[in-house]
Amino acid sequence: MRHLSLRKLLLGIGGLVLFILVWKLVTDAKLVSPIFFPGPERTYAALVKGLSGGALLQQTLQTIQRMLLGWLLASFVGILLGALVGISKRARAFIAPMLELLRPLPASAMIPVAIAFLGFSDHMVLVVIAFGALWPMLLATIHGFAAMEPRLYEVSQVLGLSRLEVIWKLALPSAMPMILASLRLGLTISLILAVVGEMLASREGLGQSILAASRSFRSPDLFAGIVILGAIGLVGSRLLSIAERRLLRWQATSR
Amino acid sequence: MALTQLSTRMQTGTRNSAPASDETRIRIRDVTLSYGNLQIIGGISLDVAAGETVCIIGPSGCGKTTLLRMLAGLAKPTSGSVELDGSMIAGPNRSVAIVFQDYGKALLPWRTAAGNVSLALEARGFPSAERPAIIRDLLEKIGLGRHADKYPAEMSGGMQQRLQIARCLAQEPKVLLMDEPFGALDAMTRQVLQDEVLGLVASTGATMVFVTHDLEEAIYLGDRIVCLQPNPGRVGRIVDVSLSRPRDQLLTREDPEFLRLRRELYDLIKDDHQ
Repeated sequence: MRHLSLRKLLLGIGGLVLFILVWKLVTDAKLVSPIFFPGPERTYAALVKGLSGGALLQQTLQTIQRMLLGWLLASFVGILLGALVGISKRARAFIAPMLELLRPLPASAMIPVAIAFLGFSDHMVLVVIAFGALWPMLLATIHGFAAMEPRLYEVSQVLGLSRLEVIWKLALPSAMPMILASLRLGLTISLILAVVGEMLASREGLGQSILAASRSFRSPDLFAGIVILGAIGLVGSRLLSIAERRLLRWQATSR
Repeated sequence: MALTQLSTRMQTGTRNSAPASDETRIRIRDVTLSYGNLQIIGGISLDVAAGETVCIIGPSGCGKTTLLRMLAGLAKPTSGSVELDGSMIAGPNRSVAIVFQDYGKALLPWRTAAGNVSLALEARGFPSAERPAIIRDLLEKIGLGRHADKYPAEMSGGMQQRLQIARCLAQEPKVLLMDEPFGALDAMTRQVLQDEVLGLVASTGATMVFVTHDLEEAIYLGDRIVCLQPNPGRVGRIVDVSLSRPRDQLLTREDPEFLRLRRELYDLIKDDHQ
């Protein structure tokens, strides 16, 4: 078991090294002008400089904070609303068509609406993130509740569980695999919208810093920002994977 | 069929403990059940005495499970009445526990064995400090003492069904309903569990209604056997089982009376299968 995961880790690192190598070869051969496309060394130098003394660290923290706040807000509202809708067949029939209409709306299309109401503010960006990241959690919770084993519902009736207990002790845990998968998706959406929101509303953060670097042809800074964004996404998704494995321990044993 | 309504049940077999009293626990009167134009149950009347074990057999489609679901309050009769201790069964009720055949679906996969039993205690409002001791006793009683921390997915079918029975016992029910509980288990496990259930029923004095498609199981467990006939489901015959208790997997099954009953029931059921 441990052997297998070590091999997987080594393979993963190997892939990453190969990627950087190809990157270096392409830039060294000057296939693309270095003004637009810096090599790994220049990107790394910009990264170190930005994180040690520059504004990059502050901007990174700003973006992470924005992403997390929006994600938490979306998760809270999404799961709560999803539970309320999902527990009742009638509510599901009533709400589902409305959700199907709203869901495909690109969250970025909501930005002008949010700007009209909230102006170019941090609140606006937060609302846009929460709105965009809400859907996976909301839909997963509704579907997870709807997919609860009917037999369990009968068990709850025979045992005399209250409605709240049915939600908390049966429906929510049985929807948990779906909800956890949606939390991961929601985190990715939150990161994307945090960056887009910062770019459009020029709030301090990686989005704004990347845009500024691009406009002033500081391509190493631009790529440093992108690398950090990739790292944030990777770490976030990894942390949630670990949480998932712990929370779904009962499921892993069945395989 | 009206004859069967008379609760002049002759009990020739003597129980070791918890003798069946004359008190009527379940009273089913002229019950019918239809879905649209389809009549599933067409007029069943049956009394079950407190402490008695009644087995229900019959071909598929005779409404065995439906009848049991009505006793559990999970299905409502179209007409007629189902009473527990003199009051109508209007819906699911903690004093009537039901063991489903599909234990895999009836257990909470995200809770351990102890957690699954705990659910019944939580529903009854037991303070959390009192639960562990009760859970330990129940799991011990049903032979899962060493598996309290296992998840259902880590347990065999027999263990999972034991766990479901333990959860039902945690309800401290007056009536235990069994819906073909051992149908999915291998023969050996089934016999072990039959004896365990008999022991539990004897020690708790619970009334049991046991649905099965296995004639021998019905004879082995029951005080009486109700044979249902299909289209629509109705009582064909009621057979008294006069085998002594406690029963024994070898001795009881070799008893000439056991063999006679098996032949009688076989002939009855065979006619319905033609």
